[in-house]
Amino acid sequence: MIEIIGVSKTYGEKICALANISLKISKGEFVSIVGPSGAGKSTLVKLLICEEKPISGKILIAGRNIVGLEPQELPYFRRKIGVVFQDFKLLPQKTVYENVAFALEVCEASPEEIFEKVPRILDLVGMIKRKDNYPDELSGGEKQRVSIARALVHSPKILIADEPTGNLDPINAWEIIELLGRINRRGTIVILATHNKSIVDRLKRRVVLLKDGRMVSDKVRGGYVI
Amino acid sequence: MNWISAQRISKLGLINFWRNRWLSLASTLVMTLTLLIISLFVILLIIIGAATDRIKAKMDITVYFKDSAQTEEISDLQQKLAARGDVKEVRYISKEEALIIWNERQKNQRIKELVTPEENPLPRSLAIKAIDPENLQNVADYLSGEDFSSIIHKISYEENKQIIDKLLAITSFVQKMGAVLSIIFIIISILVILNTIRLTIFTRKEEIEIMRLVGASDRFIRFPFIVEGILYGFLACLLALILMWLMLMFLSPLTTKYLGEAVTENMKHFFTSHLWLIFLLQLGVGILIGIGCSLFSIRKYLKI
Repeated sequence: MIEIIGVSKTYGEKICALANISLKISKGEFVSIVGPSGAGKSTLVKLLICEEKPISGKILIAGRNIVGLEPQELPYFRRKIGVVFQDFKLLPQKTVYENVAFALEVCEASPEEIFEKVPRILDLVGMIKRKDNYPDELSGGEKQRVSIARALVHSPKILIADEPTGNLDPINAWEIIELLGRINRRGTIVILATHNKSIVDRLKRRVVLLKDGRMVSDKVRGGYVI
Repeated sequence: MNWISAQRISKLGLINFWRNRWLSLASTLVMTLTLLIISLFVILLIIIGAATDRIKAKMDITVYFKDSAQTEEISDLQQKLAARGDVKEVRYISKEEALIIWNERQKNQRIKELVTPEENPLPRSLAIKAIDPENLQNVADYLSGEDFSSIIHKISYEENKQIIDKLLAITSFVQKMGAVLSIIFIIISILVILNTIRLTIFTRKEEIEIMRLVGASDRFIRFPFIVEGILYGFLACLLALILMWLMLMFLSPLTTKYLGEAVTENMKHFFTSHLWLIFLLQLGVGILIGIGCSLFSIRKYLKI
């Protein structure tokens, strides 16, 4: 499903963020990408969502090299992958419902589709009771659930989470990871970039370790070892 | 784009305008200023044009005849002048008419009484107007020739010419300075509008980022800002029109005092009869600047 072949990325001439990374992720996998700060996790996420382009290598998603996508193709590509960030990126002046509906509105979905999908997704992430609240009225864990709901609203085949638990306490963090696990069991690939050791150890799923922009290890049922 | 998208985009633009009302107000006011400057420049041109026309219309040559000149000689000259292609009008002023004009113009009673119908030293004259005042020089040259020196006492052209030339030079200078100043002001205002709109867009950087991340097309991101640009243009146009009307009301006593009733009437007439044209022009310019600045400012945030 996802194939990263010999991908490198540098910033300027001196900073090498990723060096010759190759990785294959199959349908239905849950992959944690771990490593200390500056290891290249966020860069890898940015490359996967086409926020940035590598200087060399290919990234194949469903057989298509996304490195060569034209700017006008990007919006349609982004509708096929869900992204969740550490800082939630919710619009503060919109309610929970509106934040999720907004993702459909900008993609020219019909009102019927929005009316049908949004409550269903909010129910899935356990936020249907809070649908009329504003982000400021929610806890960190709740905000992240809304952010996940928004990422899922296009029914993506791939969900990428960049440090989704970075701003959360351990209990809330684990709840979010469990939610990601539930989403993964429905058939969605989940790519989790994190440096939270306890979560990775507890997950017992595939772990890819990055260090200084290089792939150090790739274990099918791994833990967080540096 | 379908109807639902158009509705959503317009709604988003209106909501954004209202939500950032202080910045929107700033953009609108700066644009109002720009439209006012452009309009005032046009009005300035009209006033200066009218003043120049008035000065030019007053330009004429008056030929004063010696008392010894025969009436036939004068009427002969009058006919010759009237036959010229560049002369618009030749009017004969008799001694009696000259006296009437003298009595009208002379304020000092003692001097006035020096001239009476019985003892009238005022000369007979011909007042000549050219089709194009620039050609008066040719007429003056013709009259200065040898043929008429026996009957002509004086030609008034030379002494008036200097004053008129000076006046025309001043109006032309004011016109040019007005154009230069207006262009400078327009450039400054466009820069200020650009900066204000950039600021409004900068405050919404995150919103644009989120829109891009959830898969909004560039068009969908850009259009609400265009809607806002149109709103700035529309409101600024209305405001500028109201301000212009107020200024006209406030300034008309002054223009009447210094430039004459006719100029004020001309201005009022121009404003009322061209109201729609002014409105549409201001609207066009306002919307153009609004959309242009919005598109220019948002460019940066749409790059991948």
